[in-house]
Amino acid sequence: MTKDRVYMKPPFGLGEPKEVDATPEVLVPLMLAGWSQCEPPRLFQETTGEEVTKNVHD
Amino acid sequence: MSTTRLQEVLICFGKQKQTDISTANTSGQMWQLRKLNAALANPKLNTENDAEEFGKGHEFPTQSFQTSWDVNGTLEKYLGSEIGAWAMAYGLGKVVKSGTNPNFTYTCTPLIPASGDAAELPYFSFVEQIRPGAGVVVDRMAVGCVVEGWTIAIGSGPGRANSKITVEFVGSGKATEPSGITVPAATIEKLLPSASLALTINGVNYVSNKNIVSLETSWKNNVRLDSGFYPGSGFQTPGDATSGAIRGRLEFANRQGRLKFVARFENGSTELTKLKNQSTGTAVLSLTYDANNSLDITWQKVSFAMAEVGETDGIVTVSVECLPMYDSTNGIVSAVAKCNVDNICQ
Repeated sequence: MTKDRVYMKPPFGLGEPKEVDATPEVLVPLMLAGWSQCEPPRLFQETTGEEVTKNVHD
Repeated sequence: MSTTRLQEVLICFGKQKQTDISTANTSGQMWQLRKLNAALANPKLNTENDAEEFGKGHEFPTQSFQTSWDVNGTLEKYLGSEIGAWAMAYGLGKVVKSGTNPNFTYTCTPLIPASGDAAELPYFSFVEQIRPGAGVVVDRMAVGCVVEGWTIAIGSGPGRANSKITVEFVGSGKATEPSGITVPAATIEKLLPSASLALTINGVNYVSNKNIVSLETSWKNNVRLDSGFYPGSGFQTPGDATSGAIRGRLEFANRQGRLKFVARFENGSTELTKLKNQSTGTAVLSLTYDANNSLDITWQKVSFAMAEVGETDGIVTVSVECLPMYDSTNGIVSAVAKCNVDNICQ
């Protein structure tokens, strides 16, 4: 069974979101440090094949 | 003449959080759960009068003024996975949702302002109705409520009453009457019974050694009620200064966690030794309905603040009050609540 993963954004909105395992061992220290859940960034859609920005040279 | 009996009362409240303190939940964001206690969440209007003012020629009041509004209430329930998840999310304040239907997982921790978190708790609306519509008896909605605290009590015995949760909440004072809410169908709740308990405190598995008798754990936010009224916090009727002030924010103050338990005391029991040594460890309690419905609460670091040997039903027992402490990595408490209801506190 694959682990659930979630995106977390850093405290005070500084820095890039990161994808982490949704386990208490990973999430609780991050939440304590000010990280909070966020939507997947657009980059994630591109890497999974959901094209967001078309290449103008195509 | 018809009599209105309290068994008719319907309650529903925000499963999803409000967007802000003054924007009420819609029907689609709410759920109906049942409760055990009879108390209603009556909006209370505070008034003042002019008795103390000079210039009238006497000491008696001649005018009364609507000054402010309060709302508070209590939910007593058999502990189920749904209310467990809701109480942890709204009571602690910070939530990460993972998983998919039918196994949603809500990982909850207290808000930490020093790490950039808000001091305001998530808001929800609370509706009470008795015969809404043409024959209405009660139909009102308290808007902008937060969880003041929760208490989970686990006891010994066969009945549902051996696993209960009590949630206290307080409101901004804003009330809507009639509520305008169509109460959704009652949520089917999955009980987390006492018999499902797993419990390890400070290195001792109190279930495998068959020694646990009862336990109670709680969280209290000590919400700053007075500071919710600040210059500009608003009125019950927007723009009408005679309608009474309402709160514009509800922030937690100094929060408190508690854990106490009673266990059988026998040769080799370590509670008194651990009290003297001030040993520390985690306290982990888990209650389970099935693989998709459970509640795990972890006090990250506890010592024993008090341990007294006594008796329960003629058996020698030890009553222990734990001191939950802050762990630098994992904080004071975390809860992992699983249930098959989506969007709790989202």
